[in-house]
This record gives sequence, C-alpha cells and structure tokens, in this order.
Amino acid sequence: MPDSRRDFLRGFAAVTVGAAAVAPAGAAPTPQAAVSPDKTPRWAMVVDVAKCIGCQSCTVSCIYENAVPEDSFRTIVSTYEVQEGDRAAMVMLPRLCNHCADAPCIPVCPVGATFQRADGIVVVDADRCVGCAYCVQACPYDARFVNHGTQKADKCTFCAHRVEAGLLPACVESCVGGARIFGDLDDPKSTVSKLVAKGDAKVLKPELGTRPHVFYLGLDDRLTGKVEGEPTLWHPTGRETHA
Amino acid sequence: MTILEVVNVSRDVTWLPWAVQYFFLVGLSVAGFLLSLPGLAFGARSQRGFGRNALIGALACGLVAPVALLADLHQPGRFWRFYTNPNLGSWMAWGAFFIPCYVGGLLAYAWAALRGDLAAAGQGDDLVSRLRRLIAAGGAPAPRLTKILAGWTVVFGLLILLYTGMETMVVRARPLWNTPILPLQFAATAFTGAAGLTLLIARLRGDTTHAGDAVAARAMTAALLATIALGLAWFALGIFGLSDIHARALASVAGHRAWQVTAVWAAAATALPLLLLWLRPPGWAWLVGLLGLHAAWMFRWTVFIGGQTVPKTGAGLYVYQLPLGHDGLLGIGGSLGLWLFVFVLITTLLPDPVASRVRPALAPAE
Repeated sequence: MPDSRRDFLRGFAAVTVGAAAVAPAGAAPTPQAAVSPDKTPRWAMVVDVAKCIGCQSCTVSCIYENAVPEDSFRTIVSTYEVQEGDRAAMVMLPRLCNHCADAPCIPVCPVGATFQRADGIVVVDADRCVGCAYCVQACPYDARFVNHGTQKADKCTFCAHRVEAGLLPACVESCVGGARIFGDLDDPKSTVSKLVAKGDAKVLKPELGTRPHVFYLGLDDRLTGKVEGEPTLWHPTGRETHA
Repeated sequence: MTILEVVNVSRDVTWLPWAVQYFFLVGLSVAGFLLSLPGLAFGARSQRGFGRNALIGALACGLVAPVALLADLHQPGRFWRFYTNPNLGSWMAWGAFFIPCYVGGLLAYAWAALRGDLAAAGQGDDLVSRLRRLIAAGGAPAPRLTKILAGWTVVFGLLILLYTGMETMVVRARPLWNTPILPLQFAATAFTGAAGLTLLIARLRGDTTHAGDAVAARAMTAALLATIALGLAWFALGIFGLSDIHARALASVAGHRAWQVTAVWAAAATALPLLLLWLRPPGWAWLVGLLGLHAAWMFRWTVFIGGQTVPKTGAGLYVYQLPLGHDGLLGIGGSLGLWLFVFVLITTLLPDPVASRVRPALAPAE
C-alpha cells in the first residue's frame, strides 16, 4: 500500500537523517543544520557522478515521497554505455529540475503559476496552474511534465515540504552512494558551496545561460547537453517515428 | 567515442493535437479574413463573391479555434485564470486577450459586411427569413462601419498571427521552434490553407466564378512561393552555418530518417499544388483546395507534434502514436465536426449565392 510504504519511508528517512547529521564531510548535512535562522538559504544540489551506481533508488523514493503518477518521473538516472577505443564504461547522469536562477519556465507561464521562492526552489502553484504545458515546452532539461492525475504541471521541488521540516530531499536521503549532496549554496561552510567553489563542477546546457543550481562533479562535457548517442533501449519498435 | 543510451525516460507530448487544430484553424481564420477585405471592405466588386466565401471560412474557423484551444488546457474550465491572473510577460497570456478581440471583431465585421445581403434575402415569412431580418437589423449598407470594424479586426488578426508565431518561437528549449522564420512560415502556410479553403467553400456553396477562382489561385500561388522561399532560407541558413539558431534547428532533426521523409513530403506538398495551379487540369480547384489545407495542417502537425518528439536531453526520437480518444483522433474529428456544424449554420443563414448575385443593388454602396 502506498500510504504505509510512504510512512515506512518517512520513518526510515528520520533515522537516516539523524545518521547524516553526524556523518563526516562528503555526506550531506541536514538543511536545518546548514541554515542560519536570520538568512534565507539558496538551496542547491551537487551530484558526484562517479559515486552514482545507477540503482534508481532516488527515482523510486521520489515517486513514493511525492506521489508521482505512473509513467512520470521528477527525477531519473539516465544511464549510458560509453565506449572509447577498446574501453567501455557505464556513466550515470541523475537528472532533475535544475532550479535555475534564470528559469525559462517562469516567464512563459501565462498565469504566473510557476515561480521561484526566496530560497531558489522553483515551484508550481497548483491552484493557479491551468495545465497549458507551456512551461513543459520551455524547460530545456525535460524536467517537467503534465501530471495525469491533476492535469497540471509537475516537477521536482527539491522536496520543499521535507526541506522546510529540516529533512533532506527524498532522493538525497535514499542515495546509496552518497552521490547527491544538498545544501545552502550561500553558506560558505556548507558542503555544496565548498564543492562548487572548487570550480570543477559543471551544469547542464551552460550555453543557455539559465544558471542551473544542480551541479555535477566529474561529468564529461559530451553529456552536458543533448546526448548524441544511440537511441535508448526502451524504444518499443526499434524504429523512429514522429508522425 | 560512441554512446549507447541504456536507461532514460520518454516525455509525453503535452501540446496535444488540439493545439495543432487551434493553430491551424486560427491561422486559416485570420488569413481568410484578410483575403476577404478587398471584396467586402474596400469595394473591389469583382472580388465580392470571393470575399464572401473567404469570410465564411474565416468565421467558421474563427469560432471553432478557441474551442480547440480550450480543450488543450487539459481541463477547459480553468480558462478564467488567464483573465484573473495574467502574466503579461508571457505571449500566451496576451493571446488570451487577443482571441476574444479578434473573434468579436470578426463577427462584427461580418455582420456589417453582410447585413445588406441578409436583409435582401430575409423577405419571406419563414423562420430563416425572419432570423435574417432580425440579424440584419435594418440592413442598410454601412461601408464606413465595415471599414472601421475591418480595421479593428486587422489589428487583432495580425496580433493573433504575431502571438501564435512568437509563442512558439521564443521556446529556446526546442531548437526547431526557436527560429525567427517560424512565425513567417506559420503566416505563409495559413494563407495557403485559407485560399484552398475558399476554393472549396465556393464549390460547396455552388458559388464558383472565374474571377473568384483567379483571386484564390493568385493568393495561393503567392503563399506557396513565399513558403518555398522561407523554407529555402531556413535550410540555407542552417546548412551553410550562416546562423547558429538555424544550424541548431537543422541539426536537431537532420540526422533522423523520419524527418528526412517529412522534408520530402513537405516539399511535395508545396510543389504539387503549385504545379496544379500552373497546369489547371480539370477539377484542379478541388484538388488544389484540399492540398492547400493539407499543407497548412501538415506544417503545424510537423512543428508541434513532430517537434515534441525530439528529446531535449536524450538520444533518438520519442515515439508518438496518435491516440484514438479525445486527446487524439476523436479530438481532431470532433473539431472538424464542430467546424462543419458552424459552416452549415452560417451558410443556412446567409442567402443563396445565386439569389444574392441577382440582387446586386443590395450590396453595400462604395
């Protein structure tokens, strides 16, 4: 049952958040611990690609935490087999909303339902959303979709409800390899700001100037944009078609 | 280096066939209205019959287009939020204001332009005649009012063409849409479709004249030549790398066989009606009319549905299969059925074309 499953995950999350709070650097600190009470944080995520094992536990935990409907995803780990010469390797690329500072989904919304909170999280006011899907078109990261249940725009919220309660986003909480690190980018002592400050973190599609706030460590430049590769295995017919 | 995409997701098409229907119908409506102006608002008597048929098409398309747009909202009852919470930085928000201004202007212009015909035809005692007299409200020719209303509708018609083009063009996330040529291509294909629709309406109403066919043929030839010129410019800017935007747009689709077939199809859909317009074989007008509509519809289908099958981050193309229900075939058929109903309603109210031709004195004075 989803409800009991969610309850189970919540209970599990509470235990692991406690563990994270005392974990050494590299593990994600709890948002509560990273925020000073008189300053609004700027939430961001760093993804260490080398630590991701492609287990999709983030994908599953997100679905349960946020009641994401069947066939839709707020986050997914894109998985690629990269071959160079006689060497081959699996490369994982966790994808989610980038909570861009200049989010292209915001200005196109005809009713102002999509907006950015003071803490940088881009959210959708579901009461106001008309389901026109203009934001879905405008997002360069394919991070949005129309929820089949609500018929409104849906996307990752960095689990804002959990963050407000002092918890980590579900995907961070459940990440087996500790690949996802969440925290306040404006806090120089936070793990995310230290990692980003090193200067080798990358963002997806930097040329668009959207200033994403999901950063990637160890990501090959050839995977930062639209991946030019062999089509994915989920293609049901093995043929290309669009009409 | 080769990359094989092993795990990823397919994103659904979210601008549904309803959106294609809206952009198709509203484009036809605006272009049909503009084609009607010389005959109905500016006194070109030889184009009056053509103008009347173009206006009938514009009315039917203009009344049905907003219904298709509402249906694309996934829940049409929410439309009122466009007016209570407008974000005026969004082209779509402006469209919500342009549409009623355009459709309202179109109805008022049609009333002013055709009320003389309605009054002349409303001489009997039957229900339709009484309705015609009621709508005509006297029926005295009102050329000045017609011109004023035409001016209003021209402004909002052009704004409709502008916003529908810009709304799509500003989406940088889709390189295929993000070219400045796209709004012009929408406009050119809209005129192609409107000229074709006018040819068909003339035949469906039994109102064919050589003069009317000649005007329609000239309009469609010009629109097709403009479409070809724009298409060649789009391709040249992309293939020769003269414009980064166009190069990205071309690169986003060029490598896929499905898009190569689409390109050949589009070229044929433009060249074939042009050839028929040149040769004018027997029955050319029916065929050219249908091909003109096909060109306008197919362009929008390719841009919207085809464009959404190009992944923004993943490899290959997403698969799209037309659903049979209201989000697909039923929606397309339903909007065409509604169009047919509105067309029958309009042509029932308007006088018989032969009868109106023998009462030229009741046409608005110049």
